[in-house]
Amino acid sequence: MIAGLYLPGDSVIHQLSAPVKLSLMVVMGLALVLVDHIFVMVSVAITTGFVFSVLAGLGFARLWLATRPLLIWVLFIALAQFWFVTAEAAVLVSLRLVTLVWVAALVTYTTRLSEMSDVLVAICSVFRPLGVNPERISFLIALTIRLIPSVFEIVRDVRDVQKARGLERSYTAMFVPVLTRLLREADALSDALVARGFERWGDQQ
Amino acid sequence: MISVDHVTVRLQGRVVLDDVALSLTERRIGVIGDNGSGKSTLAKLLNGLLLPDEGTVTVDGFDTRSHGKEVRSRVGFLFQNPDNQIVMPTVAEDLALGLKPLRLEAERVRQCVSETLERFALSHMADRSAHLLSGGEKQLVALAGVMISEPDILVCDEPTTLLDRRNAALVMKTIAGLSCMVITVTHHVEHLDGFDRVLVIDEGRVAHDGTPDQAIPSYLESLS
Repeated sequence: MIAGLYLPGDSVIHQLSAPVKLSLMVVMGLALVLVDHIFVMVSVAITTGFVFSVLAGLGFARLWLATRPLLIWVLFIALAQFWFVTAEAAVLVSLRLVTLVWVAALVTYTTRLSEMSDVLVAICSVFRPLGVNPERISFLIALTIRLIPSVFEIVRDVRDVQKARGLERSYTAMFVPVLTRLLREADALSDALVARGFERWGDQQ
Repeated sequence: MISVDHVTVRLQGRVVLDDVALSLTERRIGVIGDNGSGKSTLAKLLNGLLLPDEGTVTVDGFDTRSHGKEVRSRVGFLFQNPDNQIVMPTVAEDLALGLKPLRLEAERVRQCVSETLERFALSHMADRSAHLLSGGEKQLVALAGVMISEPDILVCDEPTTLLDRRNAALVMKTIAGLSCMVITVTHHVEHLDGFDRVLVIDEGRVAHDGTPDQAIPSYLESLS
């Protein structure tokens, strides 16, 4: 199984290059920290939500999906701000966090992993004289992202099997097959990469 | 041409292939045999994924032991499980990954990907998440990912084992249409129609080597 958050589309945002989107994300992150006027913050949040849902064509449902996991933390932080600072600070901090996540999600959903990797390679190339291999780092990150859902799937499969055997509370019954399958998958993936000509990637730089 | 010269392979102390000697030149070669007979081990020897303990394997004169890179640029490998072969999130990105070792210009990569997608009738799913495809589609993407670098020889290790009959037929039909030399390891003897040569592997040795008309009945007889 392969992780992939990119959602294909032909919106203006999709067509922007990855370096432009990532730069804008960094600039916006810094700018948001400086905003301390509540109406400006509300305007920025609404604009970001509009760009995400309408301009990028990702829709309000996905905007909600990107926001939902945050809510409990935002609520917690807002309560703390309200209690220790002011109500205005609570609103500012909450909107800042939510907007930042929307911007990050917007970049993730509209940029291919390979484009992100190319940016990473360009950034890491600065360290090439120090012996750093940017392609290898970028590929390592891409592989890590690709393997996350694989790990979850293996854990889910093994949990289902052990549950069927009445062993869901046994850590050994979970750990051993999960580890075995992970090692086997890693071995198969390694074979596949060698077969596709990647064994000497590092040496070719 | 692939030459397997008196090759022996031992895995964890067990002899998996025992003094196998073959010269592979035909355009379509099938390899059949029981589980554990050594046929997948033979397949992995052919592009240097596995090195022999004794003997040598050469592809167009390149020894798999000393010239792995040259061998793998000539011999593509299609695995049984496409999930292990597809690395990148989308179909087009995964195809492009196959060209990375060739270090081509971005425009050339885009062109190759587009041509390969069209050739394998995958253009409509270029930006689709590879993990959301059906088993047959995934195997076609894996095949396209191998063929994008235009190997002279394709080795397929049980490419249809995880597929239903419809998808298996689709994948085999696509493989049959390839112009390169194809060596297919399979349990399904019906997929070997039209092949030039079939090897039957049994307990690490070549038990039969001939045309499908000769080798398949011999294999089926050994099962009964």
